Amino acid sequence: MNDEIAAPATDRIAIPPETLKMTARDVDVFYGAKQAIEKVSIDIGMDHVTAFIGPSGCGKSTFLRTLNRMNDTIPIARVTGQIELDGENIYDASMDVVQLRARVGMVFQKPNPFPKSIFENVAYGPRIHGLSTSKAELEEIVEKSLVRAGLWDEVKDRLTESGTALSGGQQQRLCIARAIAVDPEVILMDEPCSALDPIATAKIEELIHELRGRYAIVIVTHNMQQAARVSQRTAFFHLGTLVEYGETSDLFTNPQKERTKDYITGRYG
Amino acid sequence: MNAAQFPAREPTDWTTDAMQRRIRARYRAEKRFRIYGLFAVLLSAGFLAFLLITMLSSGARGFTQTEIALPVDFAASDIFLEPAQLEGGDRDQLLAGADFQGLAEQTAIDAYGEDGTMLISNGAWLRLREAVADDPELLRREERIWVQASTEVDFAARGADGLHMTDERRAMIDRYAQLEADGNVRRGLSWTFLSSADSSDPTLVGIWGAFKGSLLTMIVTIALAFPVGVLAAVYLEEYAPKNRWTDLIEVSINNLAAVPSIIFGLLGLAVFINTFHLPRSAAIVGGLTLALMTMPVIVIAGRNAIKTVPPSIRDAALGVGASPVQVLTHHVLPLSLPGILTGTIIGMSRALGETAPLLLIGMRAFVPSPPSGFTDAATVLPVQIFLWSDELDPGFVEKTSAAIIVLLVFLLAMNGIAIWLRNKYEQRW
Repeated sequence: MNDEIAAPATDRIAIPPETLKMTARDVDVFYGAKQAIEKVSIDIGMDHVTAFIGPSGCGKSTFLRTLNRMNDTIPIARVTGQIELDGENIYDASMDVVQLRARVGMVFQKPNPFPKSIFENVAYGPRIHGLSTSKAELEEIVEKSLVRAGLWDEVKDRLTESGTALSGGQQQRLCIARAIAVDPEVILMDEPCSALDPIATAKIEELIHELRGRYAIVIVTHNMQQAARVSQRTAFFHLGTLVEYGETSDLFTNPQKERTKDYITGRYG
Repeated sequence: MNAAQFPAREPTDWTTDAMQRRIRARYRAEKRFRIYGLFAVLLSAGFLAFLLITMLSSGARGFTQTEIALPVDFAASDIFLEPAQLEGGDRDQLLAGADFQGLAEQTAIDAYGEDGTMLISNGAWLRLREAVADDPELLRREERIWVQASTEVDFAARGADGLHMTDERRAMIDRYAQLEADGNVRRGLSWTFLSSADSSDPTLVGIWGAFKGSLLTMIVTIALAFPVGVLAAVYLEEYAPKNRWTDLIEVSINNLAAVPSIIFGLLGLAVFINTFHLPRSAAIVGGLTLALMTMPVIVIAGRNAIKTVPPSIRDAALGVGASPVQVLTHHVLPLSLPGILTGTIIGMSRALGETAPLLLIGMRAFVPSPPSGFTDAATVLPVQIFLWSDELDPGFVEKTSAAIIVLLVFLLAMNGIAIWLRNKYEQRW
């Protein structure tokens, strides 16, 4: 494989500076002595859905979690390199991690609503960040978030019921509503549909389409069809490195690297 | 290896006798197992029922008392007090100086014959003094006053059941029948038992002193053991680095929970009384000692409860930007509260029933008045039961049973509150 020494992996993408949201440069992640991510550099734009694809264990989820410092909760994880949000280094000592996570929200693989009412699930973020001054304002935020997450019509009459009583797909949309309630700039989604059936998956994908442009969305998926359906840009990870990053249509129809081609044609995965 | 190397097998015949026997044996085994379980449940229910029935039947009488009427002629008595004198500030002193005891004994003799003093309790005269204190005008007239009857009368009131009969006892039973026919005795709920403290006379003892002592002790215990135990559990689970020191602490706490309680008593004696010079026999020392004993139980239960909170909930809270303390106070603690409370119930129940460590710190003292604060000399219910069960006077037997009922009611009430709280905070996933 002679593509290893090729030019930087991001070379097929040119993101105009005005839509540039996050940049990562030479990011390494170590779990103890084991290196999970090696020299990943990537630019993430505002107007697009960016998909991270790759075989299991390739480090795509690990890299996603570095973008809002969720790896901080793992004591043995260590991150080096530089990750910037609007030009600010998020690993800088002056960066407040609580505020960072409010600006860079996250949706997890398994729906994880709080065992509280639907209303409380969505209201929790705005409440702890003091985003509303009155009950009416809070109610408005909750309604707006649920509407945007496409869940309002299904739950508007039972906001006091427990969030855990909803179906799996509804729970995941509730988690998305919870993430957008704090008005983030970036939403990270870590395989948000892997625990859902095809119909619920279709609804989430539709939702991602609708949220595009309002938030920079980064989605990790091991489903290539899903990446092709929802994203405009795709990054292919393999063995902890970013192999190729490009326009989704380009990458799937005309992969430049041998490994990318092997993966999307199903040689391994 | 491939499948062809294995010899072909006959299809299994599921209807052979051996198969049928196996099926029957399996059904029998299941049935037997269910019966064992049922038997165990019935046996424990039987023990519980036996305990409750014995306690209630013999203890219920401990809450009652027999009273006997004394026609006291205050005006003609040796008590030379005027109602007007009792209006002044030296009332208590004047009353203390008057010979109400002699008056009670004399009245009993006058009313019921030579052995009349045998019918009234040793403390009966206190009732006369209380009556006069309440209404000084009594001193000018004659009045029928109800006083506590003696243990002998109390036993006679029970009739001939279950006691070793002697001639005296038989005579007393006949005499009681006469007194009852004349309307000179009555039985009723004993306010003395519910409102006073220890005494050497079983007709004058009360449970309130020990009850209040237990209450004060438990307040100290929970006020110390619960917050310290929960905070220690939180620190060990959420913040402590996993290294040799935390392992050592963990092992120590587990061992502490298994240390015999009497050793905590010695510790309390050495540390709180001898070193810090806290008052002996006081609820505060008892509470501190029991808190030492209860804390490890709460720490262990708390850690287990915190461990069971799924990591996905922490991720969810951190993901919307909750700080670690907010994750803890908004999510982890509320979700682990039912488990923490279960541990607290177990620890507090053990503490409430504990006798041995309290004996060592002096809570077995004879305390004739209810404690009025945490530093007053006090005793607790189990120690009171222990002391009364040791008394020779047969009048203490039913008082002991009654005290056991009070202890059990206290325990049930305490657990009831904890279970109510637990159910209130229990979350459905």
